[in-house]
Amino acid sequence: MKCAECRELLSGQVDNELMENESQDIQAHLAECAECAREHDALAATSQLLKQSLVRHSAPDVLKARIRSALAQPDVFEPPAVQRPKHSQWIRMAIACAAVAIISSGVTYEALTRGGGPRGVAEEVITSHVRSLMGGHLTDVISNNTHNVKPWFNGKVDLSPTVPNLDSIGFPLVGGRIDYVQGRAVATVVYSRRQHVINVYSWPHRAPNTDPVAAGSDKGYHLVEWRRDGIEQWAVSDLNTAELMDFARAFTASR
Amino acid sequence: MSQRDIDRFERIIVPHMDDAYTLARYLLRDEHDAQDAVQDAVLRALRFFDGYRDGDPRAWLLAIVRNCCLTWQRRNKSGKTVIPLTDTAPIADDRETDTLAIQRSQREVLQRAVEALPIEFREVIVLREVEDLSYREISDVVGVPVGTVMSRLARARKRLANTLGMLAKEAG
Repeated sequence: MKCAECRELLSGQVDNELMENESQDIQAHLAECAECAREHDALAATSQLLKQSLVRHSAPDVLKARIRSALAQPDVFEPPAVQRPKHSQWIRMAIACAAVAIISSGVTYEALTRGGGPRGVAEEVITSHVRSLMGGHLTDVISNNTHNVKPWFNGKVDLSPTVPNLDSIGFPLVGGRIDYVQGRAVATVVYSRRQHVINVYSWPHRAPNTDPVAAGSDKGYHLVEWRRDGIEQWAVSDLNTAELMDFARAFTASR
Repeated sequence: MSQRDIDRFERIIVPHMDDAYTLARYLLRDEHDAQDAVQDAVLRALRFFDGYRDGDPRAWLLAIVRNCCLTWQRRNKSGKTVIPLTDTAPIADDRETDTLAIQRSQREVLQRAVEALPIEFREVIVLREVEDLSYREISDVVGVPVGTVMSRLARARKRLANTLGMLAKEAG
């Protein structure tokens, strides 16, 4: 066997994928050619190292939940849209966030003294959040496109919830569903952050606007609540409070 | 599609979600794109499930994931050129022995080198060394002859061996 021929088959030899006779010829050649033997050992060592060290990823819970939901109702699936926000949107978002940060610092005191709202709602929202993660019912409509999710609520609930596009700041939209809180149908919009799911519940409310305020934590879940234009919204997630507040501020800033 | 088919799908295809996601992560090098591509792939797999007869269900799913990833990449023409550092890179620890430190840094170098490979090399390396598919299965997934799988693996490994300094630098 010539060296050139041997080199061509070396990878097959390393992977144990050669025919019996090919493999024997290679072994015979390697026994007498130090050069090819060195190459074989280097390839084998590289392969070994690759097997040991390459990262194996786990599918994030958000992805599994999205797939479970889709399997529960294959008909409602809609292929996710592919466009990503442009840089100009990024900058606008950043300016909006800064503006809200400045304005809200003055309002925070008032929001904090207002009190956390009825305790029952917080508990129910967390329970609903946990329920949504367990079963196959995270979303009724699956889409990362704002323009698909918002109209889906038409005629199903008594308001049109805000569904901002927050993909550019790392909160991709997952979809929406109808849930039941305090005995009524409630529009629920679902976002994600890394592996974490964020549920945003919306219902009508007559009180004046308030900025996002941390509204409590229980069993490792955190709540943020705000009111905008006649809608009260609660965001709940196991995401840390700081990031959940970032989410809420960006949510209220983008109209 | 009947409930029975969906149950069967959940039993034999859905358990391979980690492998599907891993392949998508290596091909697209972005966690959000990988999630979208895998979701897309799984629903496509469900639609074509009638066509699946026998053979390894994992290889069948990975073939669909690979196709979705390539479509995804073509549609997102912006194509990410930045090679991300792996987010799992641990922080150096003083108590670590030299041998461990060398192994760790070798692993990081290798991880980055694989992520920087051209996609036709990257996919065969991941399918072989991470997903542990046979040449025959890789040939089906990628859609090239077994001989091509072997030569691509050879060239990819040679590049990586060079990166690690295991081979004297030579052309190839």
